[in-house]
Amino acid sequence: MDPITSYLGIACLLFTIGGIGLCLRRNAIVLFMCVEMMLNAVNLAFVAFSKIHGNLDGQVAVFFVMVIAAAESAIGLAIILSVFRSVASIETTDAAELKW
Amino acid sequence: MSFMEFVIAAIGIASAIGVVGFRNPLSSAFSLILHLLSIAGLYALLGAHFLAVSQVVVYAGAIMVLVLFVLMLLNLKSESGRRIGIVRSALTVGVGLVIFLTVSGPMLAQFTDISQATLEQNIKASEGGVKAIGELLYGKYMVQFELSSLVLLVGVVGAVMLAKRKNVQLTPREGGMGGAK
Amino acid sequence: MVELLILILKVFLVMNLALVLGSTCTWLERKGSALIQDRVGANRAGAFVYSENRFVNVLLAPLRMAGWLGLINTLLCDSLKGISKEDFIPEGSSKFLHAMAPVVAVLPIMLAFAVLPLAPDFYAWDYFVHARVAPIDAGILFVLAMGSVAVYGIALAGWTGNNKFSILGSLRAVAQMISYELPMGLVFVSLIVIYGSLDVYTMVEKQQELLWGVVPAWGVVYQPVGFIVLLLAGMAETKRGPFDLPEAESELTAGYFTEYSGMKFLLFWLGEFCEIALFALLLALLFFGGWDIPWVTLPKGVWWAALIGHAVLMAKVIFFCVLQIVIRWTLPRFRYDQLMNLGWKMLLPVALINLVITAVAKVLL
Repeated sequence: MDPITSYLGIACLLFTIGGIGLCLRRNAIVLFMCVEMMLNAVNLAFVAFSKIHGNLDGQVAVFFVMVIAAAESAIGLAIILSVFRSVASIETTDAAELKW
Repeated sequence: MSFMEFVIAAIGIASAIGVVGFRNPLSSAFSLILHLLSIAGLYALLGAHFLAVSQVVVYAGAIMVLVLFVLMLLNLKSESGRRIGIVRSALTVGVGLVIFLTVSGPMLAQFTDISQATLEQNIKASEGGVKAIGELLYGKYMVQFELSSLVLLVGVVGAVMLAKRKNVQLTPREGGMGGAK
Repeated sequence: MVELLILILKVFLVMNLALVLGSTCTWLERKGSALIQDRVGANRAGAFVYSENRFVNVLLAPLRMAGWLGLINTLLCDSLKGISKEDFIPEGSSKFLHAMAPVVAVLPIMLAFAVLPLAPDFYAWDYFVHARVAPIDAGILFVLAMGSVAVYGIALAGWTGNNKFSILGSLRAVAQMISYELPMGLVFVSLIVIYGSLDVYTMVEKQQELLWGVVPAWGVVYQPVGFIVLLLAGMAETKRGPFDLPEAESELTAGYFTEYSGMKFLLFWLGEFCEIALFALLLALLFFGGWDIPWVTLPKGVWWAALIGHAVLMAKVIFFCVLQIVIRWTLPRFRYDQLMNLGWKMLLPVALINLVITAVAKVLL
């Protein structure tokens, strides 16, 4: 495996770790952080591919993913704050029931 | 892989496991900061210098500060009782392993249609200098660039509208920290 | 192999410079504040060394002078006092994070010195020496990135203090720092628009010319508003001057510093003064021509021209350090909501309008 492909392997590993974290944790902010980790793994794969193919389109894609992740983080944390105000807890199991 | 790549990748993977593993959400957050900085290091080693610096500015410098702010303002205790059982954890890790093998199989196959010489040439050609990325960003991807500024605007407006307290009168004394207890 | 040796030498010299500038700023602060407040300041330690032997006495005269000026007091005695104090870690918080907080606050500041050029490039026995440690082409963005990462040291320091004063102080400090990163970034963007490159060396090179044959083409001539905005935003970013509410003793019992004593506190302190030196270096490089002497042209690439340029740059840096110290000891402190108002409602629109006008002027002219 040449050195560039090992970056792809690292990206897959980080994606899987993020996915496992998403399934195992209940704290909403830690879930958000696992999603960010998966996005970063995809970014790493994009940069590795851009190096393999020799043009910079992959890096521009990473730029756009970063922009979207920034906007998503702002809104996601605002949602978490709103849920915290009504439920007084940010564990997902405490907000699992609809109001009767 | 050279020594630097190995060390930074190891730090990245270790801090990723730390994000998932720590029980205290604040320790998870600091572990994620270390993870983001190591990913920035990997970008720099891959030759994407502008991306490495903007990863530090955007992700590690702004998004994580926001997360830390929310964590500190909410002032949480660690995840309370009702630990996830060992069976469920093992099942999740097993499914994760299957996903890893599925995703990495096609990705790690040798790229047989690109010869070694072309690979070397491509590696040199894709040095992520600021000028080269700027030419692409404002040339080929101009529409996407403008749309992403719209997305950021929607993000800002949405965040303010969602997090605002309803029917609150801010007295002049409360100033900038009004509402936080 | 030779490149590696040159790199190690450069790293050593730049680290030395950063730390020496930081320490000089502590001494300047102590004596300068004394002069401004119409008192004498520290002048006792080492000022009375005496020896019976006349020859040794003459040799001790510079030491007496240094003691009388307060140098020995500030540079030697403070450090010894700090090292010998008890180093406690508050209960109920992570020992590792408590010890890491000063490091995370200080390390990015030292790293930011790596991309700033300290002298014009010169030839040394047919090696072309770049007078900066890391000639990357995203120079100024790296400085901004390091300013963003330094925020975490403050957050860690406040949180591991485990008491309300620390957490409040650190929250205020973090909010202040991230608010003032925005006008700073916008001023950097205006400079990038004018000079057409992110690299700080290119910016300094382009300031060597004369504008319309008379005025030196310094950044302050191109961007006077940008200079004022960067001065204010930088002083707020380094929590200096009238913006030092997070460290206010009368309101927060030293804010996020509360649980730190001994060497860790001194590390925070030194980091703050190195940040003053970094900010002064930025101002000198971006707005005042770096190593440019106004109407004098020195030959490029010669080693003695590089040395003269470096000396001129250091003179400008010391001028800006003194300026920041004088501003701090002259103006009263801002209240917190006044501080945030200034950042968001005054500096940010001004920086934005400045950017728009700069971009329009660059396109039209």
